[in-house]
Amino acid sequence: MASIWVHAVEQGFAYGIAALGVFITYRVLRFPDLTVDGSFVTGAAIAASLLAHAGFDPFVVLLIAFGSGCLAGLITGLLNTQLGITDLLAGVLTMIMLYSINLRIMGRPNISLLRVDTATRVIERAVPGLGDIAVLLFLAAATGVVVLLLNGFLRTEIGLALRAAGDNEAMITAHGVNPKSMKILGLCLSNGMVALSGALVAQYSGFADVGMGIGTIVTGLAAVIIGGALIRSRRVGWMTLSVLLGSLVYRTAVMFALRYGHHVGFQASDLKLVTSLLVIIAMVVPPIRERLMRKVRAC
Amino acid sequence: MNGRKRLGVAVVGLLVACVAATAFAAPLKIGICKIMDHPALNAVEQGTIDALTAAGYIAGVDVEYVIGDAQGDPNNATPIAQNYAAQGVALVVAISTPMALAAVEVFDGTDVPIVFSAITNPLAAELVLGDTDPSQNGNVTGVSDLIDVGKDLALLKELDPAIQRIGLVYNPGEANSDLLTGNALAAAPGLGLTIVTAVADTTANVPMAAQSLIGRVDAFYVTTDNTVVSAIDAIISAAEEAGVPFLMADPTSLEFGPVIATGHDYYEHGLLTGDIVLQILGGAAPNEIPVVYQKDPEVFLNLDAAAAIGLAFPQSVIDQAAGIYFAGTTWSR
Repeated sequence: MASIWVHAVEQGFAYGIAALGVFITYRVLRFPDLTVDGSFVTGAAIAASLLAHAGFDPFVVLLIAFGSGCLAGLITGLLNTQLGITDLLAGVLTMIMLYSINLRIMGRPNISLLRVDTATRVIERAVPGLGDIAVLLFLAAATGVVVLLLNGFLRTEIGLALRAAGDNEAMITAHGVNPKSMKILGLCLSNGMVALSGALVAQYSGFADVGMGIGTIVTGLAAVIIGGALIRSRRVGWMTLSVLLGSLVYRTAVMFALRYGHHVGFQASDLKLVTSLLVIIAMVVPPIRERLMRKVRAC
Repeated sequence: MNGRKRLGVAVVGLLVACVAATAFAAPLKIGICKIMDHPALNAVEQGTIDALTAAGYIAGVDVEYVIGDAQGDPNNATPIAQNYAAQGVALVVAISTPMALAAVEVFDGTDVPIVFSAITNPLAAELVLGDTDPSQNGNVTGVSDLIDVGKDLALLKELDPAIQRIGLVYNPGEANSDLLTGNALAAAPGLGLTIVTAVADTTANVPMAAQSLIGRVDAFYVTTDNTVVSAIDAIISAAEEAGVPFLMADPTSLEFGPVIATGHDYYEHGLLTGDIVLQILGGAAPNEIPVVYQKDPEVFLNLDAAAAIGLAFPQSVIDQAAGIYFAGTTWSR
């Protein structure tokens, strides 16, 4: 049995991919997209259904889940750019639609993956003796690949156009790029990654639940903002890395609250309170230390 | 015996006492977790603890309870179970489907027993392979709160044979409710009834779902749906507005105003859960303990609510009642 901190890091990676998806819409595209609360579950639902009912390969379903998330993003993109529905409402509408669609995909609210070969189980078997460390390495590798691909993409010509679309719509229009296509592209990519994260989390947890997407936008934003405060950089590589770091900090805070909350008098029902307090501490400490260091140097 | 020897004996005695005290003082850790703070789930938790206390397992001395509450977020289920593993709990009581699935996944390959509770269908949830034959279930067993929906519908028909259309508000996102709604839809035709469903995916949507049924149904029915039960006032006011009876499969809400409340007492459910925990602590293996289905749901009548819609209970229904609610108090038979 690995230490809980190993598990916290595992979850930091698995949910980190969803946080990177939120990063694309919120930071790069500056589009507040609430679709993710639905698309996270869509990814989990597709993966769980194909694994439990159709005997698919656990790694292939990750790609299919990515595709399903892209479709969800496409819907929000079309609602916003073609029908002129405001960004927030477009995302909300797709998210609400996805609730029903996710239930249809699963056929019921909860699918168990306890008796199927999930990616984590296949990995554990393939690398015997390492146990949970093998799962950690797999999730780190999967997240690493996503980060490298994303970094590479954001440096291509289209990737640069996507970043520019978020910064200055008029400027890229002047350069002959259609900002609407960039929005749709960004939303597809973002929700694809969120769905991929959902598929990974479902396989890791051993079940998919229709309620597991609630709060994806909140924890995703938390990771983006925590990371942004810890690593201040405008370089793409550092920014994506900071999002992962933010996700790790958030998941570690949850684990910390679970492990030590009751020692300092908190109850089980205080979990969310303690988690947020820990995140506040993580945010406040680095600037304080910086200020102290400056004072020390000034002396 | 000289002084030095006496001192030696005293030191050895003290050491033995210390070792014995530590051996006894290290209480057995038991993890008890639930998906959210909910009256029925809290009653299960309390019942489980009380059953153990009654059997002589004193909290803080013999056992230490590590309570977990996912606060309604299934994503918290896995870290709660992982934390139990890190703390070396001897046994996990997992209340509700997501908690049980996460615990079984995390403790896969270990010999830590998982006792699930308040699970409507442990077979459909794939928590166990057999309910009456537990031999293939590994380290998992528990208690199911499956209710007989057909019995409830028959009771409504008995209450008033003119009842034909029954309004059922439910959340399709809840595994238990989804299953019971399916059972109701299957049982209705045989009883000459039609089920009219209205969906509420959150507590906030329950009032509108209930109102949409007014004038279209002759009675309201609610199963053990956590979302709808949390907003039960909305169903009660809709049933009153429509002037039709309302049967609810949760006796703990009798005083809030359903005409009839049937079903399981969740504190009792917790006692049954505690009983399984005691069997395991007594040396039984989980794969020797069949899944327990809580039996004999009780019937309670609310005379105040019946009077409000001008309904008189037939004698046959009164005969089945284990208790009545009248003039602000519940009276047991």
